[in-house]
Amino acid sequence: MKTTFFLALFLGFAGVLAAGHWVPWGAHVRLPSQTHVVANGGRAEQFLIRLPADRIDVAGAKTVGLRAASAAATLPPQLTAEPLLVEHFKVRDAAGNVIGLAARHWSADTHSSGTAWSLMIPSRGALLLTAPAEPRAALDTALRNAGYTAGALWNGNVKVAFAPEDSDSAIVAAGSEEFAGLAGKYSETWTVTGVTDGGELHGTIEIDTVTRQGS
Amino acid sequence: MRYLLVAVLGLLIGAAAAGVAIYYNPLIETRSSAEPDVADRALHYSLPSEVLGFALGERVLPPGTPKRDGLLWEETIERSAMLSLVLEDAQDKPTAIASRMLAVSPRTDFVLSGVRVNDYWLLTIPGEGTLFLRADENVWPFVKETLPVWYFGRPWKGPVEYNPTAGPGEHGQAVVVGATGRFVGLEGTAVAKYRLTDLDPAARSMAATGEIDFKLGASQVAKSE
Repeated sequence: MKTTFFLALFLGFAGVLAAGHWVPWGAHVRLPSQTHVVANGGRAEQFLIRLPADRIDVAGAKTVGLRAASAAATLPPQLTAEPLLVEHFKVRDAAGNVIGLAARHWSADTHSSGTAWSLMIPSRGALLLTAPAEPRAALDTALRNAGYTAGALWNGNVKVAFAPEDSDSAIVAAGSEEFAGLAGKYSETWTVTGVTDGGELHGTIEIDTVTRQGS
Repeated sequence: MRYLLVAVLGLLIGAAAAGVAIYYNPLIETRSSAEPDVADRALHYSLPSEVLGFALGERVLPPGTPKRDGLLWEETIERSAMLSLVLEDAQDKPTAIASRMLAVSPRTDFVLSGVRVNDYWLLTIPGEGTLFLRADENVWPFVKETLPVWYFGRPWKGPVEYNPTAGPGEHGQAVVVGATGRFVGLEGTAVAKYRLTDLDPAARSMAATGEIDFKLGASQVAKSE
């Protein structure tokens, strides 16, 4: 009986330690990566954001346009003296499955103009994308040119490339985990198909990356 | 039958002993080597008062915590969280806005490395530019001291300070990459610190102050870590 007790005691002790060490407590569900090989080298992957479903929140000065209109939180005046827009989204793969989260910071003051995206895919790591900033209220301008009036319902199809496909200055600047060591380019295109009378955008944001290892 | 009872008793005692061993395991406490060099910049914030917005994954909420709208419910992001913060400088002047994306790390190991969290920051200082910061944090010391207060009514011995940064830099510091503005081409290290100032077991809530100290220099190698 003593042997049984001590054997069970050891098994219980070792079992819990083994579970603490080998069970993948921090593993995330991973969907197959929707990547494809580019003819002249590298791999391409598209990330997709559907509006308004994937918008988590936004913070920024109201003066930067429609995209800041739904900002729930008020920024301290010290942070709104310069044009600044911070947007948070869920991010999808090309097949439309939610795979991660994304933050976009845009500023357009004279000293620090630029756009930075951070995409986190929990099962794969994170990507940093950077580009020159688009002009202030670029989306508003495109929508107005297509007949949108502030405060009114609008339907249509407007496509704005914030980082055009042929741009060499929109780059994949850093990565972690699976994205570590990748470098390349990206493009960012907003397609707006509607705006509600409250200023909520409907449409998609497409981020197309082309990366290669160690370039 | 007696053998079965003895075996079950042995298993339970052995498992409990392993639980105690894990709880007091010195290997999974954060190493204190992640002290900043002389920091170029130190920014601080208060939680929850300087949180502009947040979204939590369904599976990062401790059991019994009331669920709220806006959860990250999709299975791929249910162990993640996202928040935006206002950070202040040493004169308590709002100086920066940060987006933080956090996810439980696959490196979590209760025997060797602790409860690890990948913490990605995008931090913009208006008039200067944006920084990308990647921190590997060990939140085990926080979890270990907080959950018994919440669930078992154990008295809280606070305020408590935590230095969770455990990598991925060479000396256990976070890695910083300049993204836009005057930070382009700069790289560096950072260390995060927290001071838990209040813990309310009834409301399952807490208050804390946080600080991020970073040091930047010219980039020497490739842009990716």
